[in-house]
Amino acid sequence: MSSLRIIQKGFNYSQDGPGNRLVYHLQGCNLRCPWCANPEGLSLEGCVMQIKDPESGRVRKKRSFQEYSLEEICEEVMRSRMLFFEGGGVTFTGGEPTMQFEPLRELMERLKSREIHIAMENNGTHPRLMELLPLVDYLILDFKHPDAGVHKRVTGASNERTRENLEKILASGRGVALRIPLVHGFNDTPEALEGFLGFFHSNPMDKATLEILPYHEYGRDKWEQCGMEYLMKDGFVTEERVAEFEEAFRKAGIQVIHT
Amino acid sequence: MKVSDAYQAGQIGEMAQKLFAQERSLGRLDGWFLARETGFLHQEELKKLPEELAAARRLELIVDMLPLTISEHAVFAGTQRDAFARTYALINPAFQVETFCGYCDATAVFDDIEPNEEFTPERIGAVKKYMEDSPYVQKLKEVYGACEDYTGEVAFFIEQVTGHVIPDFRGALREGVGPMIERLEKRANEEADEKKRINCQAMALTLKSGVKLAHRYAKLAREQQKEANPERQKQLALMEETLNRVPEKGAESLYEAMQSFLILWQVMCMEQAPNPYAFSVGNADRIFEPYRAMENLSRREAGDLFKHFLVFFNVGDRSWAISQNVIISGRDTEGRDLTNEMSYAIMDAYYDMNFPQPILSVKLHKNTPDEIYAYMGKFFFSPGVLTPSLFNDDAVFEVLKKGGVEACDLPDYSIAGCQEPLIMGKDNGNTTNSWLNLGKILELTLNHGKSLITGKRMGPDTIQGLTDREVLEQIREKFYENAEYYVSHMVTAANGASEAISREPVPFLSAFMGGMETAIDMRDTREQGTKYNGSGCLIHGLTVVADAFLAIDRLLAEKPEEAKNLLPALQSNFEGYEELQDFLLAAPKFGNNIPEVDEEAARIAEKIADLVASQKNYLGNPFRPDYSTPSTHLLYGYWTGATPDGRKAREMLNYGVDPLYGEAGQGLGFRILSALRLPYGKFQGGYASHYGIDPKFFTGKTYEERGMQFKTRVLAPTFFNEMNENIAPFYLYVNVTTPEILRKVLENPKKYAPSGVYIMRIHGTFVNFLDLSPAIQQDIIKRLDLNSTRV
Repeated sequence: MSSLRIIQKGFNYSQDGPGNRLVYHLQGCNLRCPWCANPEGLSLEGCVMQIKDPESGRVRKKRSFQEYSLEEICEEVMRSRMLFFEGGGVTFTGGEPTMQFEPLRELMERLKSREIHIAMENNGTHPRLMELLPLVDYLILDFKHPDAGVHKRVTGASNERTRENLEKILASGRGVALRIPLVHGFNDTPEALEGFLGFFHSNPMDKATLEILPYHEYGRDKWEQCGMEYLMKDGFVTEERVAEFEEAFRKAGIQVIHT
Repeated sequence: MKVSDAYQAGQIGEMAQKLFAQERSLGRLDGWFLARETGFLHQEELKKLPEELAAARRLELIVDMLPLTISEHAVFAGTQRDAFARTYALINPAFQVETFCGYCDATAVFDDIEPNEEFTPERIGAVKKYMEDSPYVQKLKEVYGACEDYTGEVAFFIEQVTGHVIPDFRGALREGVGPMIERLEKRANEEADEKKRINCQAMALTLKSGVKLAHRYAKLAREQQKEANPERQKQLALMEETLNRVPEKGAESLYEAMQSFLILWQVMCMEQAPNPYAFSVGNADRIFEPYRAMENLSRREAGDLFKHFLVFFNVGDRSWAISQNVIISGRDTEGRDLTNEMSYAIMDAYYDMNFPQPILSVKLHKNTPDEIYAYMGKFFFSPGVLTPSLFNDDAVFEVLKKGGVEACDLPDYSIAGCQEPLIMGKDNGNTTNSWLNLGKILELTLNHGKSLITGKRMGPDTIQGLTDREVLEQIREKFYENAEYYVSHMVTAANGASEAISREPVPFLSAFMGGMETAIDMRDTREQGTKYNGSGCLIHGLTVVADAFLAIDRLLAEKPEEAKNLLPALQSNFEGYEELQDFLLAAPKFGNNIPEVDEEAARIAEKIADLVASQKNYLGNPFRPDYSTPSTHLLYGYWTGATPDGRKAREMLNYGVDPLYGEAGQGLGFRILSALRLPYGKFQGGYASHYGIDPKFFTGKTYEERGMQFKTRVLAPTFFNEMNENIAPFYLYVNVTTPEILRKVLENPKKYAPSGVYIMRIHGTFVNFLDLSPAIQQDIIKRLDLNSTRV
């Protein structure tokens, strides 16, 4: 029986797709972004987190994911419909959801047949991403850096496939919500901005939206709980820098959004 | 004379602030003692009278002797100061969870009065002794004596109920108490039944006492005019003129209606002094709107007068008259909205004043105008400002209908105290009569009827001869068997407490609770004085027990060899069994939209509610299941040993029907889905639920926008979910803040609460966070539980 490894689930209003959404974070990612907010989701095999109780000081061990059959998830989604208000539905994110490609596709097919609105946030690197798209009503794609070399050096993988997939998606005329995690020292440079603009300039962007997600450290404690060192230093970006990037994108005719 | 003839624009509001400040500077409350002493001093005379008439005469004597004052800032005459002591535990800084004992000593209040030259220990002692010897206290002692084995560690608790109803003063405001007195005297002359004849005489006498009190205030207002400046003279003349008219005659203006109401309220509270908590005003907007409209007063003018109405409900330095409730908005039986101009005037007054009392409740329904939600944004998102209790009329109507309330009475349901829905003027629900601790019952079931805390035997051993595995396999059956045992003892004791309090009749209140028709005292335990009657049972530990059952199932399924270790682990409070505790903690928990445990909670809620509702009170009416735990989740948790869900001994139980703190970490959506599974139609006595909400999820630029976001994201999915085919949740209170903010307020109150008042919600009432005992402050911080409400 097919199953999915899920690190976290819960509702979110309008940030990961329209309306109120049940968001599933799937285990496993092919990138190793050092600012990752869900480091427990990096390895497909998962990890054992050691969580210290702040009051008693006792350390509790917790596996990073739970495995659910597709049937269980389907049932959960169906009984959650009462909360899919304002055009809501289900969102798959990660980790990187496409790492569990086959069961994810099967689940999406089942949900699609039940008329559930599906959103997916992914990093655009999967070679078969286009196969999933007919099942996705709202696509979110993270575009972290325009330069293949920098992308590979920092995240561990090239962005070539992301660019290819994104070009196809933009050319197809379907909507896509692009996200750029803006991180100081990584992609907040004039060169990176130039690179992004260059890419957008050479592709039809009329159906795309763009959102900048400023660097945060919400996941910092979890790195330690997973037994890993948090190596990011000084990743914060100023509000001015965010505004500068947004302004540049707007000037280029791109629809900038905030969710 | 009109109000506008005596006061300049804006003056009334300013005076309300000054009046409140003056009230908060009061460090002593001795009036209740004088009231009790009056009975003591006139005991020979009172002894000769039938009990009902003695109660009426005692009230008259109190009204005759009570020292009266009118503040220079007062717009209305009247106070509740003489009915309350500086007692209420939660706002008493000396309160400690550990000191709770399972006994409600009706004379303990005498220890709350600090002796001085005037009130000497001897004087206090003599009145206390008199009260100890009263038939009421004697009977109560007997009742507690018979059940102390159960109440000491709170398998259940019982108490005599005072306050906690909603008088219907509307007729008295309209026509005055004069015609009521006439009707009662006429009936007393014609009535063949002696009890009823006496009751009519007694009610008439108490109503006359209300008129007498007004006249005494009128006289005082006249006297004060002599020394007053010309402006104040006019104001006092208006007051005098008004008090000579109301409550005897019908009110002809909003000012008169409010003055009439306050005098009646004062007498009602004095009749039950000390400490008749949790009377409710009812739908104040509907009560006062006809009078506002009579003069076409503006919202501002009406709101300013209402500010003084609100000051009246704040008693002494910590607003000791706790849990009195003012309600606005709501619907009629056809679903039409009943919001009116007065509803908004009342909200204006509440927002401007931000007093710790009385509670504001807002009745919502699917046709509630968006203006109400938008307005509530101000309350929810202004730090330290009160937030209203929220009721879902659409669901409450269904629940009450199932309980036998006639359709014509439904719009008149009001909230007595925290969240208990009762029909105004027609329902004596004895709401806090009995309290059941499911967590303790589970503990006693598993531990052969003995307490894990003290080792004391409290009940039967129903698992004798069973193996460890068999006990766990049969845990549900055995738990319900034990529940029946403890509930039957609880009911006997609770009815005994009601018998005890019936020895203190309340003829004045009865005149506004059906007594005009039935001529029966509303506390009578032989004949029913009110149209509706029941007795409340507050049920604790619902979701802890559901989680415990599921943890046991998981243990049997996955680690059957550990079954033998469960009881030793509970007995040792998991010392040396940490791994087993972790396993139990990792089992499914209510509040995360996990069907097996949510359904278990629903089953327990239904079975226990049915068990409670099958019990008869002193009049043969059902007990009303009420899943609310007004801070008692702390007190009862303290007396409950470790439970199989992994909870340690003495830790809190879950609040109301909510998940146990920390156990629902998947956000508000899942929490709502779990909550929607509960059988609200069975919760005839009410229930409690609280969301602590992080304001960061609401991004609207204005309060109004955020109010609407709150509707969309929190209230509509909970209350008015179109896909929910069951009776929907019908009560909620919220605190929109974070633990960090509250810690800052405690660390630096001068900076974050310069007025000295920072309002937070605690169960059904709101309180000044800074007034609370430290244990309760920490409980509020802990139970914000923001992981369970991420939006």
